Amino acid sequence: MSFPKKPPSKALEILQGLPRISLVNLRPEPGSTKLGKRRGRGQHGGNRSGRGHKGERQRGTRPRLGFEGGNTPFYLIIPKYGYNEGHSRRPQYPPLSLRRLQYLIDLGRVDPSQPIDLTQLVNGRGVTVQPLKNDYGVQLVDEGADIFAAKINIEVQRASEKAIAAIERNGGVITTGFYDPISLDILIKPVPFFLRGQPIPKRMLPGEDLVSYYAHAENRGYLADPDQIQHARLALAQKYGYTLPDLSKDELFRMLSMRKDRRQIFFGLAPGWLVNMAEKKILKPTDEKVLQYFSS
Amino acid sequence: MAASFLSRRTLALSNATKACLASKMINPASGIGTQTASYHAKPLKLNLRLPYIPDKSSEKTPEWQKTAQYDRKLFGRYGSASGVDPASLWPSHAELDRIIAEENEWNPSLEVMLENIAAQQKAETEQRLAKEQLIAANMAKMPKMVADWRREKRESRKKLKEEKARRQKLLAEAKERYGSTVDPRSAKFQEMLAELEKEEKKKKKLLKRRQREEQAAVPVTPPVAAS
Repeated sequence: MSFPKKPPSKALEILQGLPRISLVNLRPEPGSTKLGKRRGRGQHGGNRSGRGHKGERQRGTRPRLGFEGGNTPFYLIIPKYGYNEGHSRRPQYPPLSLRRLQYLIDLGRVDPSQPIDLTQLVNGRGVTVQPLKNDYGVQLVDEGADIFAAKINIEVQRASEKAIAAIERNGGVITTGFYDPISLDILIKPVPFFLRGQPIPKRMLPGEDLVSYYAHAENRGYLADPDQIQHARLALAQKYGYTLPDLSKDELFRMLSMRKDRRQIFFGLAPGWLVNMAEKKILKPTDEKVLQYFSS
Repeated sequence: MAASFLSRRTLALSNATKACLASKMINPASGIGTQTASYHAKPLKLNLRLPYIPDKSSEKTPEWQKTAQYDRKLFGRYGSASGVDPASLWPSHAELDRIIAEENEWNPSLEVMLENIAAQQKAETEQRLAKEQLIAANMAKMPKMVADWRREKRESRKKLKEEKARRQKLLAEAKERYGSTVDPRSAKFQEMLAELEKEEKKKKKLLKRRQREEQAAVPVTPPVAAS
């Protein structure tokens, strides 16, 4: 597909003739940088050097933070209560606002013509997920729901009701899916995983406390009944007052109806397959027992 | 093969994994935009010209370079050039048995989990309903209990008042008789009480006799009047 090229304008010709940009040719905007105050130099930086007059302040021997001169300090007098008890065992979901998602789509960092997955979001540097800090994925937050205008097929790990409504109003599809920590690690960094030489594992099911979330149609859970999801879509449309667009008449229907299996981590790759990055090949097991395990 | 594995719930599956693309023209009819830059991956430096593949037979190679895990990493980096048999990368039957046993122990199936959740919820609702029923039954009994309690209180208060009135009357009697206030605990008071009791008894006896006489007189007279 080659279009006939127009001759470039004079300005563009000049620009193309200039040398390449490098650190040698760049300087900051005048007035943008300001030199910091250097202590111990000159009339204003010297003398006491900003430390004050005598005492612990000047001599740098102030007591620890929180010390109140001897009476029991605030941080000790307040009794403990189990607000933070078990905090390290709680799953965390860093938020992704619809505003940020729209920004990423507008800048082309995330492609709306393909299903949007956590891998795509991380590739476009839209979110940062830390599985080692108990992050279990990403949650869709409804900031920017009124300006959101993109038709996408997105899979996140949690979503608020308004965010679901905003996406479905624009003719998109949203699913919430669970990834156990190992699968999440593989999902956000696929290439380092493929270089490990291990077959793709199957995704584990959520624990009992999270199963009820993912089995409900209101949350568009991946374990929920598709008919109930349709009912929930209609109900949500009625609640928020928009007409639900008919997806079957959409030209991107095939893309929008792509959904991952409950054991699948990547689109197009099944558990048990081994991806060879060096020779760009996929190896599949043939042993029956292995096949049965990976497809169970 | 992916479709045969996994077409349980998905409608359409196969989408090729994205390789690096410079930029794509999107169909303007879809209304998204004219041109978007897709994800451009960093080039993967695999060093396929001079791979380091350790010599398994030599003693100089460290032990950790002869392990199965290192072999897998070699295969992952260099592919078939590493000389590793790909069949060894999947778990053997023994390992597979162990893995399956572990999974069945720690990961119950979806149906089992849903059943457990349903049972828990049922137990909770039953407990809550039982408590509410108990509360409702007790509340229905409340008006009667309140009335009973009020009645009892009234009666006890009345009894106290009567007792007090009786004691006042006796004191007045005693004062009238002996001319000065008498201590209720003294012997004189006790004698007075005894006398009063005797008088009461006599009065009662007289009353009873009169009543008997009247009753005797009443059945006798009518036959006399009739005849």
